[in-house]
Parts: sequence; C-alpha cells; structure tokens
Amino acid sequence: MRLYDISLKGLRRRLGRMLLLLLSLATAVATLVTLVTITRSMNHSVAHRMDEFGANIVIVPQASDLAVSYGGITVGSAAYDVGVLMLADLEPIGSIRNARNVSVLAPKLVSAVSLESREVLMAGVIFPDEIRLKQWWQVHGAYPVGATDAPVATLGGHRAMAQMEAGVSGADQAVLGSRLAHELGLAPGDMLVVEGRNLQIVGVLEENGSQDDQILFVDLTLAQQIAHRPGEINLVEIAALCSDCPVEELVRQISEVLPQGRVTAVRQAVTLRAETVDQLTRFAVVVSAVVTLIGGLIVLTTMLGAVTERRHEIGLFRALGFRRAHIERVILGEALVISLAGGIVGWAAGMGVVALLRPTIDELAMTSPWDPALALAALGGTLVVGLAGSLYPALRAAALDPVTALRAL
Amino acid sequence: MIELCDVTKTYNPQGAPVHALYQANLRVNEGEFAAIVGPSGSGKSTLLSVIGAMNPPTQGSMLVDGIDVYSLSVEKQADFRHEYLGFVFQQLQLLPYLTALENVLLGLAIARMRRADKVQRAREVLARVGLAGKEDRLPGELSGGEQGRVAVGRALVNEPPLILADEPTGNLDSNTGVQILTLLQELNAAGHTVLMVTHDAQATTYAQRIIPILDGRLVDGDHDITKNENPAINGNGKR
Ligand SMILES: Nc1ncnc2c1ncn2[C@@H]1O[C@H](COP(=O)(O)OP(=O)(O)OP(=O)(O)O)[C@@H](O)[C@H]1O
Ligand SMILES: [Mg+2]
Repeated sequence: MRLYDISLKGLRRRLGRMLLLLLSLATAVATLVTLVTITRSMNHSVAHRMDEFGANIVIVPQASDLAVSYGGITVGSAAYDVGVLMLADLEPIGSIRNARNVSVLAPKLVSAVSLESREVLMAGVIFPDEIRLKQWWQVHGAYPVGATDAPVATLGGHRAMAQMEAGVSGADQAVLGSRLAHELGLAPGDMLVVEGRNLQIVGVLEENGSQDDQILFVDLTLAQQIAHRPGEINLVEIAALCSDCPVEELVRQISEVLPQGRVTAVRQAVTLRAETVDQLTRFAVVVSAVVTLIGGLIVLTTMLGAVTERRHEIGLFRALGFRRAHIERVILGEALVISLAGGIVGWAAGMGVVALLRPTIDELAMTSPWDPALALAALGGTLVVGLAGSLYPALRAAALDPVTALRAL
Repeated sequence: MIELCDVTKTYNPQGAPVHALYQANLRVNEGEFAAIVGPSGSGKSTLLSVIGAMNPPTQGSMLVDGIDVYSLSVEKQADFRHEYLGFVFQQLQLLPYLTALENVLLGLAIARMRRADKVQRAREVLARVGLAGKEDRLPGELSGGEQGRVAVGRALVNEPPLILADEPTGNLDSNTGVQILTLLQELNAAGHTVLMVTHDAQATTYAQRIIPILDGRLVDGDHDITKNENPAINGNGKR
C-alpha cells in the first residue's frame, strides 16, 4: 500500500464517475486532434501547393488595346499588337525584394495562326515553366524533348535567356489541346504544317475544360519565328507563393521594374481557399480554446465533488500522519491516471475520426496524419489540463481539518 | 511523556463560545493505561484530538517528550502523528473498499519501507490481533469485534509509543468490547502507552488510571485505580 495504490483504489471505487471524466477528456482531446489534423493538412496543402492552382499574377504589354481572351485573361490582340514586351524585359523581376516568393514565371507569345484554313491560337511557351505552372496537365503521348528537364530553379527570365542562347531542343515539336486535336483529327506522331513549317505533334493534352483545350502549344522561340516577332512575348503568367505578403505588393514591385508591362493580380481559387482555410484555422483555435476550458472545468468540478465526498477519508489519512503534500499527491495521482488514459483514448479516437474523414477531405488524403508530435502534444495537453483542473481540489483536500473531516459522518 | 499545560480549547470563538476544554493540566507517563471518563459533551474527544496533534488548543501548550508539538509546522505535526501515535476511532473509520490487510497497510502507506516488508509487518499485526487468515476480508465481511481489531491493528502497525482510542467499545456489545479492551491491555503490557476515552463503566476497569472530565475541566479525582482498595474493581482491571 503506497500513495499510488491509494490513488488507484480511489479511482476503482468511483469507477463510474471517473470513467465519465475520462470520457469527457477523451472527447475533448479527440475533437482537438481532429481539428488540428484537418486544419494543419489544409494549411500545409495551401502553402505547399499554391502553384498547383495556376497563376495569380499576369503581365501583358502596356500598350495593347485590342483584345484576345486567353484563360479568362484579356491579352493583347494576337494580330494587331501595338506595344511590345520582350522576354529580356523580365530579367529585373529576379531582383525585386520578394523575388523568392515568385515560384513560377511562364512567359508566352500568343498569336493567331491559320491552320487548314481556320484560325487557331498558337501559344509559344517555355515548356518546363508552363508544365510547372499547370500541374494539372495530363498529356497523351509526350511533351517535347527537354520539356520535362530539371524544374526551373531560377526565374523564368534567366532561364528563358539561357534557353535562347543555348538553342532549344525539341524545337519543332508541338502539343495540342484536346478539342483542337479532336477537331483536326490529329494524334501524337502526326505532322502539322503551320505557316510553312513542319511540326511534329508529340503530345495531346487531356481535356481540362480550360481554353488550353483549343490551343496549339509550341516552343516560344519557334512561335516568335513563325510570328516574325523575335524575342517578343505578350503574356506572362506568374505563380507567386504569398502566404506572408499580399499579392498586391508583389504586383507593385513587378510593375516598378517592368514599366512596359501591365501587371495584374488574379484572384484565383487558391486565394479564396487560403482565406477559407485561415478562417477555419481561426475557428479551430477558438473551438480548441473553448473545448480545453470546458475540459478543465469538468475536471475541476468532478475532482471537487470527489474531494467533498471523500473528506472523511482524507481526514482519516491526515490523522494517520499523511502530510498535506501526501494528500495532494493522492488526488493529483488520480488526476494523472485519468488524464493519461483520457489523452491516449482521445488521441486514438481523434485519429480514428481523421481516418474516417480521410476519403472525404482531399487535403487529409494528401498529407500523413501520423504525427508523433501531435500525439505527444495531445498527451501533454491532457496532462496539463487534468492536473491544472485538479490542483485546486487537491489543495482544498490537503487543507481539510482532520478533526472536522472525521466528525462529518 | 505527555504534558498539557493550561490547555483551553474554545469552539466558535466569535459566536457563543463553547469551552470544550478549560485550563486543563495533565501528565501522562510512559507505559500508562489511562481512561478519560466523562459524560457526553464533556470534551473527551476534544482532549484526545488535542493530544493527537490534530486540534491546536486556543490557549496553553502540549509537550511531548519536552517538545511543544503545536509550535511545529503542520507537516511536522503530521510526521509526529505518524511516528508517535496510533488512533483507534470511535467509528473505527475502516475504509469499506479495502481488505483488512489493506486497511492495516494504510497505517504504513507513507512509511519508508519496502513493499514486501510492509505486507509482512501488516500480516504480523493482524495475526497479533487474532485475525490471521482473514487478511483478505472486506470490513463488511467481518464481525463488529473483528472490525475493531482491524482498527487496532492499523493503529499498531507503525509501532507508535502512544495509542489513542476514542470509545473503542462504543459500538460493540459487551462481549466483543471486552475483546478489544483485553487487546489494549495486552498492548499496554507490551510497552505501549494507552490513552482511552470512554463513558462505559466496565471499560474503565481495564485502565490503571482514570481521568474524569466534566464540562471541559479535568476535575479532581484523577486517581490510579491500581491503588484502589476495592478488590472487585482491581481484579477486573487486572484480568
Ligand atoms: N468542531 C466543533 N465546533 C463547535 N463545537 C464543538 C466542536 N467539536 C466539539 N464541540 C463542542 O465541544 C463540546 C465537547 O465536545 P466533544 O466532542 O469533545 O465531547 P465528548 O466528550 O467527546 O462527547 P461524546 O461522549 O458525545 O463523544 C461539546 O459541547 C461539543 O458540542
Ligand atoms: Mg466524543
């Protein structure tokens, strides 16, 4: 018989109520674990896959006034450009203050070409950058040679320059949007003549519902040659990772170094999503605080009740020579056992809920929810709440006057 | 061993004050078996709890082996109870959900001993109070007299010099009461000082000394009944 045995015996004696307390704590922990796991995976996916959602900044030439629409974005007229934007002009973007927030920079030259007596849009792109920007692209066949080279680490500007100097491999290869390929009856491996140049179709994009379905993608340099507009671009799409800076600020910085371009922020899905996730996170924090508080209060009232119920027994312990500290240890020992059990059960239940939700919440499926730090935090948090809630009852118990307590029969 | 100097204990000092003890002076010597005798409400339990280091007097002091117990810190007072005192309470105060052995072990819960030694000691004590073989019974499975013996066993297990018993026979029929009194007498013979509260005339015959109390005062007539001429009482007491 030691203090710890007394704690355990005391728990066994009031098993029903203690199980109820355990259940309350476990419910609180399960709620927190679920909320934290979901919001964390959402935040994680928003922050790390921002570029998957495409561009959030576009640049078009300043002087364009006639319109061709591309991807919902009004771009300079394909046929009647007045002002010009050169690929080389993009280089200063590499030295703006928030340059490291620019994750993809995809310049292109969009122009109209006639193909089998019909007008189609041809986009000259730097394939590695374009593919990185449009991670949702699926290709039948292949991308042009070199298109899936090492991901672009430096800014598109630098890379584009380097590419121009080195000369591009796969230069005469093209990728078609699915609808265009269907309408023209073309498949990977077929040849195509554009403005007198023979192009080999290496890939057809899977239909994705965007304007890309209608477009002929070729290498930027080739498009510039075909359009007789060497070095020129008329659209730049930028994916900027901006969880810590407003997009508007990036727009301002780019506009400063690129006076000949019109820089616009595009409010795209991911921004909205980020805001939703932010709100969800704030909500989760509030709920967590409330749940923690309620958990603590339940511990407090249950343990206070237990102390009142046992004051007689506690008086006996004091008469037998238990110090106040011993009484505190008995009460806190019980709280420790309950909290540990509640923490473990709650964590397991929370992970169970997460596993159940996994198929319905994309973000959960993308990240692994098994985080030992979360398990430790759940256990530690429950311990802290359980012990904090039991502290006052323990002090009350220790302060009981043995004579009064023993008289109270 | 124990010396009370002008001890007054007043309850409800603000409202209508009750002097449960009033200027009590008392000396209990080592090896004595003394009975505090008085009518209900006379302050017997109060006196016992003051001596038991659980109830600080309003005035006066209590010395145990020359040490003023109530000048010690609360925790030291608790240590004093653990090392010096064994309590047998009027209502016995056995925990109903613990076995006889576990109830006795409660007296050793905070002792610095190995677990096996504690169990060994508790078993010995239970055997000594005549409960060998009933270690694993719950109090509810024991007779009133057996429960009383478990309570005595618990008071005894840390081998205290002084045993304080508050009406140990209060709830028992005279037969089982006699068993407990005999047990206390044996413990006294084995060297424990025993201080017992009772209002039972039969019980007083087991003590060597009677300390009458009335309205909180230790009245004259404190006498050693071993020197009593009445052979009938003497004979009973020496049984
Ligand atoms: N905690 C308390 N608060 C107020 N008054 C008390 C308290 N404890 C005892 N008293 C009063 O002090 C007086 C002595 O009480 P005590 O319990 O010492 O008497 P007793 O001799 O043990 O009586 P009994 O034989 O009935 O047990 C009584 O009048 C009682 O009402
Ligand atoms: Mg009494």
